[in-house]
Amino acid sequence: MSLASVIGIGMIPFGKHPERTIVDMASEAVFLALKDAEIKPAQVDACFFANAFAGRLFGDITLGQHVFWELGINKVPVVNVENACTSGSTAFYLAYNMVAAGQAEIVLVAGAEKMYVPELGLLDSGATELETQLGLVASAGFALRAIRHMNEFGTTLEQLAKVAVKNRRHGQLNPLAQFREPITVEEVLKSPMIVEPFTRLQCCPNADGAAAAVICSPTVAQRLGRAVNVEAAILCTGSYENPQDLTHWETDYRACRIAYEKAGIGPEDIDVVECHDAFTIAEILHYEALGLCPRGEGGRLVEEGETALGGRIPVNVSGGLLSRGHPVGATGIAQIVEIVTQLRNEGGVRQVKGAKVGLAHCMGGDKAADTKSCTIIVFST
Amino acid sequence: MNLEIMPDIPPVVPGIFTLPPYSNDESPKLLGGFCPICNRHYFPKPRYCRVCLGPVQETSLGSGGTIYSFTVVRRKPPLGLPEPYSVGYVDLEGSGLRVFSLLDPGAITQLRIGLKVHLAVKSLGHDIHGRSCLRPYFTPMTVG
Repeated sequence: MSLASVIGIGMIPFGKHPERTIVDMASEAVFLALKDAEIKPAQVDACFFANAFAGRLFGDITLGQHVFWELGINKVPVVNVENACTSGSTAFYLAYNMVAAGQAEIVLVAGAEKMYVPELGLLDSGATELETQLGLVASAGFALRAIRHMNEFGTTLEQLAKVAVKNRRHGQLNPLAQFREPITVEEVLKSPMIVEPFTRLQCCPNADGAAAAVICSPTVAQRLGRAVNVEAAILCTGSYENPQDLTHWETDYRACRIAYEKAGIGPEDIDVVECHDAFTIAEILHYEALGLCPRGEGGRLVEEGETALGGRIPVNVSGGLLSRGHPVGATGIAQIVEIVTQLRNEGGVRQVKGAKVGLAHCMGGDKAADTKSCTIIVFST
Repeated sequence: MNLEIMPDIPPVVPGIFTLPPYSNDESPKLLGGFCPICNRHYFPKPRYCRVCLGPVQETSLGSGGTIYSFTVVRRKPPLGLPEPYSVGYVDLEGSGLRVFSLLDPGAITQLRIGLKVHLAVKSLGHDIHGRSCLRPYFTPMTVG
């Protein structure tokens, strides 16, 4: 039996919002989630707020308290969460566990980020990390995996580009996505080279944005209805063992295995996936870790259209990070918003027909050729 | 000896490679840690062995290795690094550790998986405080 459910979601369009603050964006997302759940601020037992860069970029701290007070929520526990790209999904994981443990009936989760600022260069995994000081940027960490995957399995530049083309085709159908113009394989490959082999259109763009969700106990869910069940919420940290195989994130495989075990399902039971397509190769590696295809065949899977809307197992029907953009603190919750939308059968033109089981996968940070954090949330109706 | 190495330029981080001056036939060496109880090598050297929590000895990890993967960063180089610059993972001879490293920005066109490389050190970019610093990088065996 599911120990918690999502009864409300809210998200603002991702994009450039130069006139808006993080608190302004996040409070709108929370407002939308509260309205969607049809609950009042006084019913909320606890709140988690995810953000990764406000401290570094704006000198802001403990923003959650500001955000939730905009909605009249005070006195209850508020926790601020930073866990790289999984900040939002980690906040969700904590909220889920609080409800599952019986410590709260209704918990709010929100994430927001403001990334369109001139001083933002290529992202790294922390200024004082040795690897950062030796020249590692996030995009290079993924590029090193791509080059090795191409070398070992024959994955092609065209297959990488097809991830971007597919996700943009999906993004075209999502009014909340930042980039909605269709692109071709040729356009992807001809866009400016950023980090070999990634051209610009293979790297997720920056974005300003916010997303929120309301999680509740089964008792509350029964009373309010319209709930999507959480079957498992997993958070794994890297093993950091040396040497790491760059074509195969052991941490990714481990998180997927635990998620399937806890949810009591396998890859064949999944109807729709949102995964962390920060760079095109990442989606291909996540197909393999999720067991959507055998190891080494992720490039072929996208090439054959199996992960496109209408295919065997649609991945990133929201448009993914590649179309939405990646407001780091909001991304993990934006993925959850999409899966809940799909399982409610409210996806409109991008609805995956008959979707009953969905999975939101996120990954963040780079350390010792491993990832710092991997989250998986499995949902069902 | 590399003329770009000035005696007053500090390493990007202390304790990760041997410092100049180097004698004519000697390459700089990468420095790491070794736990004699667990027979385990580390890079960089941690304060404690992550298995037994015992003391870790500083050890040379040598200078030779093989490129496991590489890439070229073509935009927005951080820390004053050259545009473009290259990074990769190198499998070290001896310890078998796979370490992240800069690769010779002057040898980008020669880079490939499986290439034999050795460690070099020069003034490359600036540190997190904006000061010039020495950085280690691997360069193809055939160059210089």
